[in-house]
Amino acid sequence: MTNLASKINEIYGEIWREQKPGEPPLLTNETILLEAGLDSLGYAILVARLDEELGYDPFTVATEAFYPENFGQFVAFYEANAPR
Amino acid sequence: MILSSDAAWTALDPARRVVTSSEGWLTASQLIEARVSRDFAPAGSFAVSMKSPARMLSALFALDGTAAEILLLSPGLSAPHIAEIMASFPSMMLVSDRSDAGPCTHPDVLFAAPAASARPAVTTSWIMTTSGTTGVPKAVRHTLAGLARTVRRAEPAEGKSAPVWGLLYEPSRFAGLQVVLQAILGGGMLAVPAIGDRIDARIDFLAAAGCTHLSATPTLWRGILMTAASRGLALKQITLGGEIADDAVLTALGARFPQARLTHIYASTEAGVGFAVKDGRAGFPAAYLSEPPAGASIRIADGELLLKSDHGGSSAAIGEKLDGDGFYRTGDRVELVGDRVMFRGRDDLRANIGGAKVQLEDVERIVLGHPGVAFARAEAMRSSIAGNLLSLSVVPARPDLDPADLRRGVMRFCAEHLPPEARPALVKVLREVPVEASGKTMRRMS
Repeated sequence: MTNLASKINEIYGEIWREQKPGEPPLLTNETILLEAGLDSLGYAILVARLDEELGYDPFTVATEAFYPENFGQFVAFYEANAPR
Repeated sequence: MILSSDAAWTALDPARRVVTSSEGWLTASQLIEARVSRDFAPAGSFAVSMKSPARMLSALFALDGTAAEILLLSPGLSAPHIAEIMASFPSMMLVSDRSDAGPCTHPDVLFAAPAASARPAVTTSWIMTTSGTTGVPKAVRHTLAGLARTVRRAEPAEGKSAPVWGLLYEPSRFAGLQVVLQAILGGGMLAVPAIGDRIDARIDFLAAAGCTHLSATPTLWRGILMTAASRGLALKQITLGGEIADDAVLTALGARFPQARLTHIYASTEAGVGFAVKDGRAGFPAAYLSEPPAGASIRIADGELLLKSDHGGSSAAIGEKLDGDGFYRTGDRVELVGDRVMFRGRDDLRANIGGAKVQLEDVERIVLGHPGVAFARAEAMRSSIAGNLLSLSVVPARPDLDPADLRRGVMRFCAEHLPPEARPALVKVLREVPVEASGKTMRRMS
């Protein structure tokens, strides 16, 4: 797992523990985001926390409109739009 | 329900199935002819909060014409919050199918005894609360006839099937009732997924029900686009409302559903008016300022959007927000960019989080109930997914409190005391009250 993927997993877990009982699932590339347990408000919080941690929000900077379905696409979207 | 002379209701074929939900079908006659039992005094007042949307619809239509007042309450409200709202309506009876709503009457009891034979034909007030989720919401009174005013009836062309409207809003909300009435009175069918199901399950249900018309907030649409199930939807009409639609979500919807018409709605419940934008671009055409869409007049003053209803259907409590010409000051900042008017957020203490309006001072007041918090400041921050999110800054009540512990404690406290959309996404622990806090006091007084 890349640094970015593990960072996202970590913050996902943090939000999960704030919102839900039990342990968060480990996200793999194939995990469908909205079937993993957090709703779209949960993802909004994830994107906001990642913006604090990483300093960018790909949903704001991306030139093409895209909403990822699975975790692999989510990480790739962050990688593709990282500031250079 | 009062059928009266309303042609739309009497035109409904009683045998036609008008609602499909996970609990089965409802025909037009089941909705229209439902009566409450005679044990319930006519002209009483009822508050309804149902986890089953089909039960909610049955109860609403049965009570209309019999009850003096119906107070529509979201199934997401907690028992203490319901009690707080109902304190303003002391004679109301709470009807609910929930086990967590507090003392209430089950809806089955309403229908248990033989129905009242004579139809009392009262004009029922439908009382809806504003979509704010903290504090005591403002109540706005409607009638069923008034709510149904915007319904457009279109006979499907020969060989074409009737529209199937998906209900993703709660039927206790204005936007939800608009979908319900448009679907049923407009000659279509209403598809109702179970409230509380995950979004992918609800979209699967709608796809299987053949949903063609779907209305949701931009936040929910982003969530829908994130589901694989959305690829199974064959949509002809997409409507976005409740918060500002940006180009990203409009473009993504256009790409996913190329066959669908794309409409985004700007509406002010307080002003009793709204307008639609149909060109698939964020903001609205500057031409609307000189050639306003039907029903509304629009102007910009000092960078703020002002609206006036052409039929004067605004709520009574907005007097102080009207300008000299009777235009309502919406509080939404706008900017003219070329031939377009773009939305630029708000300048008051209200955040729109996924379509739910949250008063920042209510959040602050509740967070101050945490024993470790001496000062709390909630701010709206832009979110590319949810419109706005809340950022909360707190100052510890004692210097010896560990910031990380306090942060977690405040998060837990918020989860216990605030609805999901009013919980802060970020909590920062500050060492002292920020200097801008004085500025905020000024802002509150303005």
